[in-house]
Amino acid sequence: MDYVPSELSIGGVYLPPLLVASLFGAVLAWLTVMLLNRYRLSRWFAYPPVVFIALAIIYTGLIGTFFIPV
Amino acid sequence: MLSVRAKESIKTALAMTIAYGIALSMGWDKPMWAGFAVAFVSLSTSGQSLNKAALRMVGTLLAIVVSLTLIAWFVQDRWLFIVFLSAWVALCTYLMSGARYQYLWHVASFATVIICFDAGADPVNAFNTAMLRAQETGLGILVYGLISVLLWPSNSRHEFEASVSKLASVQHKLYRAYHDLMLNKSDAAAVQALRAEAVQAQTGFNRLLPAAQTDSYEVWELRRQWRHYQGLVSEVGKVLEHWRESFDELQALDLHALLPNLKDFDAEMERRFAQIERMLANQAPESEPVPVEFELDGAGLDELSHFHKAALTVTRSRAHRLEELTRSLFDCVSDIKCFSRPDAMAEYPSDKKNGFVPDPERILGAFRVVLILWIAWLMTIYVEGIPGGYLLIMVATPIGMAMSTMPQVSVLKLFVPALSGVLFAALLYIFVMPQLSSFLGLGVMIFLATFAVCYLNATPRRELGRAFGLAMFVVVIGVSNEQGYSFIAVANAAMILPLVFTIILLTAYIPWSPLPERVFLRLLARFFKSSEYLISTLGQDSQQPLTAWQRWRKRFHAREVAILPGMLGAWGKMIDPKVFPDTDTQQVQALVINLQALSYRISGLIEARQRPQSEFLVQELTQDMRNWRLAIQSLFQDWSEHTTVESESALEQRLSNKLSELETRISETFEQSGADRLKEEDYRNFYRLLGGFRGVSEAMVGYARLMNTMNTNEWRESRFG
Repeated sequence: MDYVPSELSIGGVYLPPLLVASLFGAVLAWLTVMLLNRYRLSRWFAYPPVVFIALAIIYTGLIGTFFIPV
Repeated sequence: MLSVRAKESIKTALAMTIAYGIALSMGWDKPMWAGFAVAFVSLSTSGQSLNKAALRMVGTLLAIVVSLTLIAWFVQDRWLFIVFLSAWVALCTYLMSGARYQYLWHVASFATVIICFDAGADPVNAFNTAMLRAQETGLGILVYGLISVLLWPSNSRHEFEASVSKLASVQHKLYRAYHDLMLNKSDAAAVQALRAEAVQAQTGFNRLLPAAQTDSYEVWELRRQWRHYQGLVSEVGKVLEHWRESFDELQALDLHALLPNLKDFDAEMERRFAQIERMLANQAPESEPVPVEFELDGAGLDELSHFHKAALTVTRSRAHRLEELTRSLFDCVSDIKCFSRPDAMAEYPSDKKNGFVPDPERILGAFRVVLILWIAWLMTIYVEGIPGGYLLIMVATPIGMAMSTMPQVSVLKLFVPALSGVLFAALLYIFVMPQLSSFLGLGVMIFLATFAVCYLNATPRRELGRAFGLAMFVVVIGVSNEQGYSFIAVANAAMILPLVFTIILLTAYIPWSPLPERVFLRLLARFFKSSEYLISTLGQDSQQPLTAWQRWRKRFHAREVAILPGMLGAWGKMIDPKVFPDTDTQQVQALVINLQALSYRISGLIEARQRPQSEFLVQELTQDMRNWRLAIQSLFQDWSEHTTVESESALEQRLSNKLSELETRISETFEQSGADRLKEEDYRNFYRLLGGFRGVSEAMVGYARLMNTMNTNEWRESRFG
């Protein structure tokens, strides 16, 4: 009940929480795949583009659940 | 004194301001279309700009016809509408990656999408919308055309003449370098820079010829001769490359002894190239071409192995072709410069005669653009409140089409200039435009903003920044007679970009990965598949006519083998050595050069096979040649399936065994034949075929050597792009 979705105001411009959460989700997914590339762990994935999308969705879900209610 | 960069920026800025001024004073809706026309037709010379303007106008008119037809036929059925629109967009995308009228097809496609989605929702006014688009495009073109002709006119003729002289001089130097290379006097690495310079000079000439035809009457009057000259110099370039490919087998021979008139031949070629350069500098030639033969010394030749004879025969045939072409080039230039009339000129192969051959990469590009169109369309229909609405489709389609012509460029590299363009325009729209109350202020702002974008992005490297800067400026400021201001309009425009680039990024992975190393491996496999097919055609009886299907397949694979090394070179440069430390850029480029050599040698072999062979030699040596062909075919098939190759020493050993075995067989066959059974031409044709087989085999050993130094297994590993 604590998580009530509300728009975020940046300088008076209201942004939907899902937009902000997905932005952070995409950035975190990007950082993760950079690390996976760096340590050659990406070779264990059959199709990396789908993994990137999946990670972005997972991170967005987590951020939306714990930090920015969507 | 103003720099060229400042002058060109002022011309574009002035044209943009005047186009907006006229459109607003006439009360026309959407004056941004006139602004778009100015932004995209402005190039460095009047001729180039006028040519691009003509293509934009014709493309717009074509788009009007197509879009009104689609609206008239399918306005009641959106699915049929989008299916036919997709077919048109696919066709235009395919055609825009071709050699001619690229810009016309680009405009014809995206203008159709814009008119269809702008007018499709309001079919009653569809005709008015289409006409408005045409008249505003015409206005932008007319204004820029007049300004480019009247204000600091910059004629393409001088630039064109400089490019002609440069090309002639580079080809002369290239001939000299190759001649020295044949005699082991120069280093192959030193020739590389000259080859790159020759390709650049030819590209510059090809780009400037249509522009000079448009803005210079002197060039227009002689356009046929100049096109003939273009065909000849391009053919000279190809023959020089083919000639160079036969040098490896000659380097162990004493060429001065075997080719008694080599010095005369060289002197005559030097003279011809020098006289051509002299005529291009408007000076009368000091001498006329003298027929010269590239003769072989009969006595010296008898002491050589059959394979050395074959290599010399191949070199001689290339030299003859070069002699023929330089004579025609001399005649052509003397005709252009009015020093004499030409005699019969050498023919060069024309692409027009070859008929239609599909290009898989262009089909793939068209498929991706249609996918982008469909995703944007489905999002517009099914995602409520999507930013921009139909604007999403109108922005995604042209950017997707532009990306299909430069697949090597990373999608993310375009995002930064596009976003900078939006931010720059947003600042003006939010903070400057509300303070303006008349066209005087607006005009000054348009002028200064356009000047700034053009001036700061004047170099060819920053061309994308210029295009996106001007396009986003025109879209975001959304000038109209009843000007309104809405933050949401800017926010939506900014939000469209991440959506568009996400769609393009996702579609880039369909059906294959766009990572350079993966594309390289895919193209390499295609190269060997086509090579295998071409080699298999050597088994067909050359006297039997081919069916239409066989002819078409042969043309398709010959084209693949000819163009794929160039594409591999472009993709090879994009492979990041930091990601793959076991393989450096030089190794990849050496591999590409080897594949180019293989491509030339395969085409030389196919050409040699088409010549009539003596019945007796065919009977006696068919089995040996067949075995050799099958061995090559099997290796090509193997290489098309995986990149691990047999060690080069094993291949070298196999080749050396094959050569000595054949050497004996050929000697026996010639002894059996007797002196009068074989004619001079039979020997020549047979040696050309033999030289072709050996050339291909040597290049294959070279490929194996290079591949064994590279670790391409790591290229196959999955990674995030």
